[in-house]
Amino acid sequence: MFGVAVTALSATAAFAAERPDAAHGEYLFRATGCANCHTDRPNKGAPLAGGRRLETKFGIFYAPNITPDLETGIGRWTEADFTRAMRHGLDPQGRNYYPSFPYPAYTRLSDEDLKALWSYLRAQPPVKQTSREHELRWFVRNREAVSVWKNMNFRTGMFKPDPLKDAEWNRGAYLVQAATHCGECHTPRGVFGGLQHDRELAGSRDGPEGGVVPNITPDKKTGIGRWGVSDLVEYLSSGMTPDGDFAGDLMAEMIEHSLKYLTKDDRRAVAIYILSRAPVENRLVREKKKKPSGD
Amino acid sequence: MKQASKRWTGFVLWLAVLTPAVTLAAAEPEDIIKYRKNAMKASGAHMAAAAAIVKGKVPFRDQLVVHARALEQINHDNTKLFPKDSDFGDTKALNAVWEKRADFEKAARTAAEKARAFARAAAGNDLKAAEAAHKELGEACSACHKKFRKKDE
Repeated sequence: MFGVAVTALSATAAFAAERPDAAHGEYLFRATGCANCHTDRPNKGAPLAGGRRLETKFGIFYAPNITPDLETGIGRWTEADFTRAMRHGLDPQGRNYYPSFPYPAYTRLSDEDLKALWSYLRAQPPVKQTSREHELRWFVRNREAVSVWKNMNFRTGMFKPDPLKDAEWNRGAYLVQAATHCGECHTPRGVFGGLQHDRELAGSRDGPEGGVVPNITPDKKTGIGRWGVSDLVEYLSSGMTPDGDFAGDLMAEMIEHSLKYLTKDDRRAVAIYILSRAPVENRLVREKKKKPSGD
Repeated sequence: MKQASKRWTGFVLWLAVLTPAVTLAAAEPEDIIKYRKNAMKASGAHMAAAAAIVKGKVPFRDQLVVHARALEQINHDNTKLFPKDSDFGDTKALNAVWEKRADFEKAARTAAEKARAFARAAAGNDLKAAEAAHKELGEACSACHKKFRKKDE
């Protein structure tokens, strides 16, 4: 289980000794799932050198190289550049990023976590690999479209804990909304591609790679209302559902590379937060058509 | 809508008349698909039940071996459940099952081995070892689903 972690850890161990927040950075790096897009795993690409295809109804996005390579990566970035990208969705020249880069979630990360993440990324080996241009549909090819989108859908700013809820719930909310960015896939989007916050986590038909993303609100019929906290904790660490099925799609990747590295407490906090949401009825898997009977 | 379904029924009847009786020896792909879905569902149920035991959530320790044996026997050769021509119909099996047969067979073999190991561990006294073996079997399930099962659409 920890094979990957061990090699990754030994590479950063020396670094961790100098900078105590390196381990914290690696933890954040896994939780935020950077590598899930910036490493082209399906084609065995170099870590963080970019190239993973993300198919959406707006076209195909290719995640860029975020290794510290000076020419093709983010080697010339300052910490301020990084913070601006994560908090405001702007590149160092001040141009908008497409929200395929989930900055609407990352904007909620704390200063401390952003700092740790930045120092982790700085410590990764640079890889020379030119980032691929996105192949977008005509109506979003102009980046100005993004500023309109941002105006409608994007609010910058750190996560604010809800004072009426306890620390565990707030930790879960922070992880889900800012770090693991569950809603970027699980929350349905409106026609303009903005998340429908009133239907948070209610599932979507416009998942990456054209898949259906399940409703994970605690609705009994169409969501995960029959799951208990311990069921969800189990799922987030091993991929096993309460009926013993094992996740096998992008979610399996998310578990394998991100969620199973969360601490037990954090996984529990995530589960508690998710199951505390209001249930939303939203059926996504189409009912099977009745076949004409054979006799 | 009603009209359409009437037409469909007519078509099926017409087919039934024209199609010569199928030889009894060859299983219908549709039945194979149904069978393997049930077998997979049964495996899932045993995995979930076993998980509750190895994690100490329920006190049915003596039942563990029953679930583990069932898993071992159901999954001893899953390649048989995916014969040629069973790729069409109400199935989430990807074409890769047939097109990358060697890979598929390897994944199925791994699952069989892990199931055997789990059955051995479950029969022993070491619950921790059984938990570890259960986990490895789960990983084999995921690995195969990842490569060979379609996502929901």
